[in-house]
Amino acid sequence: MSALGGAAGGSEGFSSPIGVGVGVLLILVSLGMAYYFGQMATVIALIGIIVGGLLIGFGVHFVPVGGAPAAMGQSPGIATGVAMLAAGAGLAGLFGGAWAAEFGFAIALAAGAVGGALMMAITCFMVNVVYIFAMGVPSASGKVDKDPITGDTFPEYKSQGTEGHGLPFVSYVGGVVGGMMGGLGGTLIYIELLYVYEGVLPVMLDAGVEEIMPLAVSLAGIFAIGMFLVNAVIAAYNIGGTIEGPHDPKFARWPRAVIGAAVASAVCGIAAIMLVMV
Amino acid sequence: MTVKMEASAGGIPHDTVMAYGLIGSLVGIYLTYLNVLSGTEIFSFFGGLAAIAALVWGANTIKHLCSYGLGTGVPSAGMIALGSGAIAMIFASRYGMLAPIVAVIVAGILGAIVGFVSNKIVNMNIPVMERSLTELSIVGAMSLMGFTAMLGGTFIFDEMVAGTSTFLGFVFADYGMSIIGGSTLAVTFMLAAIALQHPFNACLGPGEQQDRTLMLGAECGFLSMIPIALMSFAFISFASAVIALLVSVAGWCWTYVQFIELSKRDAYAWLDAKPIHEPKGGE
Repeated sequence: MSALGGAAGGSEGFSSPIGVGVGVLLILVSLGMAYYFGQMATVIALIGIIVGGLLIGFGVHFVPVGGAPAAMGQSPGIATGVAMLAAGAGLAGLFGGAWAAEFGFAIALAAGAVGGALMMAITCFMVNVVYIFAMGVPSASGKVDKDPITGDTFPEYKSQGTEGHGLPFVSYVGGVVGGMMGGLGGTLIYIELLYVYEGVLPVMLDAGVEEIMPLAVSLAGIFAIGMFLVNAVIAAYNIGGTIEGPHDPKFARWPRAVIGAAVASAVCGIAAIMLVMV
Repeated sequence: MTVKMEASAGGIPHDTVMAYGLIGSLVGIYLTYLNVLSGTEIFSFFGGLAAIAALVWGANTIKHLCSYGLGTGVPSAGMIALGSGAIAMIFASRYGMLAPIVAVIVAGILGAIVGFVSNKIVNMNIPVMERSLTELSIVGAMSLMGFTAMLGGTFIFDEMVAGTSTFLGFVFADYGMSIIGGSTLAVTFMLAAIALQHPFNACLGPGEQQDRTLMLGAECGFLSMIPIALMSFAFISFASAVIALLVSVAGWCWTYVQFIELSKRDAYAWLDAKPIHEPKGGE
């Protein structure tokens, strides 16, 4: 409740059928527009963008986000918001993938995934160093009694009055997997847009491919960042604050975010493609 | 565990702020077109003022949206606003003179769809969600377009991709030296996002007052204008960039003093603590 009279948002349960119906319709309209204004290659590029958005929306759910309570050692996870953390992991991956773009599709995607995973691995490691050696709290989850991977037990380490603290092993693994998916998704959006712009911009501006490369890279980059943030925030709204990782009950909400991310990516993607098609 | 967000009721009605913000930003961006009419680049700074009009409106929208428990923190709203706004703004810049109006329409459509997704598919069920995200997307597009117009003196795609560089006395086209090719949009994006998300994030709480939050919004906008003015030395004439810099610094000083005054007004008590003097000669 707030002074303006609003109740807290977010709820359990699956999306409304009307919402999903309209969402699917929007995706189909976007694909149809891609086919109408471009050709089959444009449709494939848009599908790549949608898949990239799906990966981002799904990947964010793996990342252990603690928010403000985590900063005080009162809940497990990394002590910042979902949007910031996802943006950090995704952009690190995007930079890795953009650097490797000239080596081909598969290597660029792999570089993006490794970049995002590496960023999260370093973050999770340093977070645990700070928790354990600076704040003096052991890693203990508040949502489960046993770590699903290592089998470590948590209740005897959990302080009274907290929801757990630190970053248990399963959350660490979740963070790395989430970073990998985010980096992969962000790079996929970037690469698909880059290929579209590399194909169309030389004709549009009557210039060589080498000359328009700064434009293509810059446009694909800013669109990829924009779409990444939209997808990450939709996933963040779905999580509604904090999540411990793949073992958290909130993880089961992921289908809603995946549908939402697909719709948002399709609509944003068609705008990014139509920039050079119309 | 969600943090309780408290915002004040009353003050200027949101619809009025929205009207001023929308009209102010459109007029400001169109005033930069005086550059083309007069053949100079003197009027570029109007773009920054347009962005500030949009950012003040956005700060009020964020106040309405985030007073519902989003659970994700206030900055996420600024990020989604600029994310969808950037796409709309670049898309719209293709339409020449109509670019600002097309940007409002396209950003409105994108924002409405993202709001629909958040409310109906992600099940947020927040009554103001669709409207707020539509507004924020427009705010993102207008602030980005305003700052871009200030940076390069233009909001038209064909001019934003055109750049020249000089080599051995010869001038030739170089897309890497243009506003888009030089990736200045990425910096502009973040400067606008920070200015949009900070005001309510800093002012929320039991003593939140609308005029103080909006004054902080204007202050953050002018603060973001200063680096844009510095960057504009690379794209517009020296005199025009100096004028933009002077306007930014003067605006920032004035809004900063005003914001401190409002903070003193709202504070329970105010102690003007002097800096601690270090004894001369160490130890």
